[in-house]
Amino acid sequence: MRRLPVYLLLDTSGSMKGTPIESVKVGLEAMIASLRQDPFALESVCISIITFDREVKQLMPLTELENMQLPDIQTPESGPTHLGEALEVLCRKVDAEVQLSTPEKKGDWMPLLFIMTDGKPSDLQKYNQMIPEIKKRHFGSIIACAAGDKADPKPLELLTNQVYSLDTTDSTVFRQFFKWVSASVSMGNRSIGASDELLLPPPPPEVHTVI
Amino acid sequence: MEAQIENKRWNFPNGKVNQEYCYEFDISKFMPEAVVETIDGLEEVGLTFDPETKQIAGTPNVPGEHKIKLTYKPKDWAEGKPVLEKEIGLIINPDPRSLWNDIPTDETIDYFKPDSDTRFIKVMSKKDMAAASKRGRSHAHEGKARDDDFSLHFDKETGWYIMVVADGAGSAKFSREGSKIACRTAIDVCKEQLLSLGDNFEREIQLFDKEKSQEKRNDVGKILYEIAGNAAFKAHKNIEKEARQKGNPVKDYSTTFILSISKKFNYGWFVGAFWVGDGGIGIYDKDTQYLKILGEPDGGEFAGQTRFLTMPEIIQPAEIYRRLRFDIVPDFTALVLMTDGITDPKFETDANLSRIEKWNDLWADLCNEVDFTNDNEQVADQLLKWLDFWSQGNHDDRTIAILF
Repeated sequence: MRRLPVYLLLDTSGSMKGTPIESVKVGLEAMIASLRQDPFALESVCISIITFDREVKQLMPLTELENMQLPDIQTPESGPTHLGEALEVLCRKVDAEVQLSTPEKKGDWMPLLFIMTDGKPSDLQKYNQMIPEIKKRHFGSIIACAAGDKADPKPLELLTNQVYSLDTTDSTVFRQFFKWVSASVSMGNRSIGASDELLLPPPPPEVHTVI
Repeated sequence: MEAQIENKRWNFPNGKVNQEYCYEFDISKFMPEAVVETIDGLEEVGLTFDPETKQIAGTPNVPGEHKIKLTYKPKDWAEGKPVLEKEIGLIINPDPRSLWNDIPTDETIDYFKPDSDTRFIKVMSKKDMAAASKRGRSHAHEGKARDDDFSLHFDKETGWYIMVVADGAGSAKFSREGSKIACRTAIDVCKEQLLSLGDNFEREIQLFDKEKSQEKRNDVGKILYEIAGNAAFKAHKNIEKEARQKGNPVKDYSTTFILSISKKFNYGWFVGAFWVGDGGIGIYDKDTQYLKILGEPDGGEFAGQTRFLTMPEIIQPAEIYRRLRFDIVPDFTALVLMTDGITDPKFETDANLSRIEKWNDLWADLCNEVDFTNDNEQVADQLLKWLDFWSQGNHDDRTIAILF
């Protein structure tokens, strides 16, 4: 079976505590529930969740949608946003978890990456070092989301040309965002091949493209 | 401690509709010495709890995220104290088969193509040819057209059999037309070239059969290049022409391409082939367990990555020549051409494509539903029905062409 690996990198730094992270959880739950209704996704999507604050944790290794149960997501009281380190962990996990084609093994689809942050990387040097490493991993698509007025889209633009800004960090906005992620995931399942880039569905109205 | 347990989210392992479920729920693993009193909400889902064996078992029949209510007596429970409650999540996945839609393709779209196609060519006192092609679930789910195509031709004058299958790229907008143009062009070019080069070609084939030297092999190869290589080249050019006329990028018409030309001689069967992309082509003999794969599948690091006839580098002379194959065999059970909608579920890996056991399985599976006795008029329809086989995660268009 061909798997579609999906990596979710979620900001759990201090500023996310309270309403924002609860909204993310609600959005995630809705996303998983909707993916379960999509036969493509149910047959091939695998999801991994990595959170980053002062510490970077892979809360859930790459798991088939069919078998997955959302892990608890915790946020510390305060602390920095180690996005650079998160990218480093991500590269390590992708190398270990994503199957490339060999004569004896069937390869996975190109993995998808979604990054959500409400700030900017505190470990900027590491972040900049990791950018070429991420490019080497050949993600089918990278979508970054800068949520709230303190989020800085600039560093994210170095990583991908698909950076979207969310005005607020409330649940409606996150639900919309994850709905869109789920639509992108569904589409990612069937449109890889001749085109260089994935065809993504248009973003929801709440999301602004950063130009 | 107690508070921690209260807060922690509990889940039973996920289940799936219509699939047997069995889980031993040992509460002491979560809470030492606690005793289960009741578990409510399982029956509604189609499951039961047996306090003796501690097993939650049955066949779930309601998809969704269910909340199961557990009541239990904690470690230090005594008569008169209340029993405690805990909510446990139970996710029952739908059966993906029940989620697939089958929406007919809109007939007014550009380059409309029917959702399935079949063809049977009966050849008196010789082998017959049959082919079937069907839109995959992924396309049916969204009402999108079939991207695969095929063409068959038997030339009564010369006795040559021509078969082509092509798989339009899923991500390319007009690949359904790319695959169609490729198939039609290949037949036209092969017919024409066999008419003018046929005599010479057959002479060289016979000389090669007598003396299997490199020199004689090259002589056959040169003419095969003029026929099958030319067919690939012209197919590419015709696609390019169509794209230019419509003002579309050639990439929008991306397609794979597998072509075979074959003929029976008194010393055996000649089979020549050209292949670009994924899928597969092989000569299979059940009795002698002979198998010859006529080329190599083009794959990439990731799933779905392959090469297409529409890529400019593919129609360079050296590249065309490299992709030609031919063989002379005394006889065979079947010459099979197929797109990756079939090779992915049936062979899984490139290495398996050259394993005779896998071909034996494929042939046995085909023979279960398709009657390959000579002159069976139903064979193409039976093939089409066979294409419906279920394989999780494999929902691409499927096309197969067989000379048998």
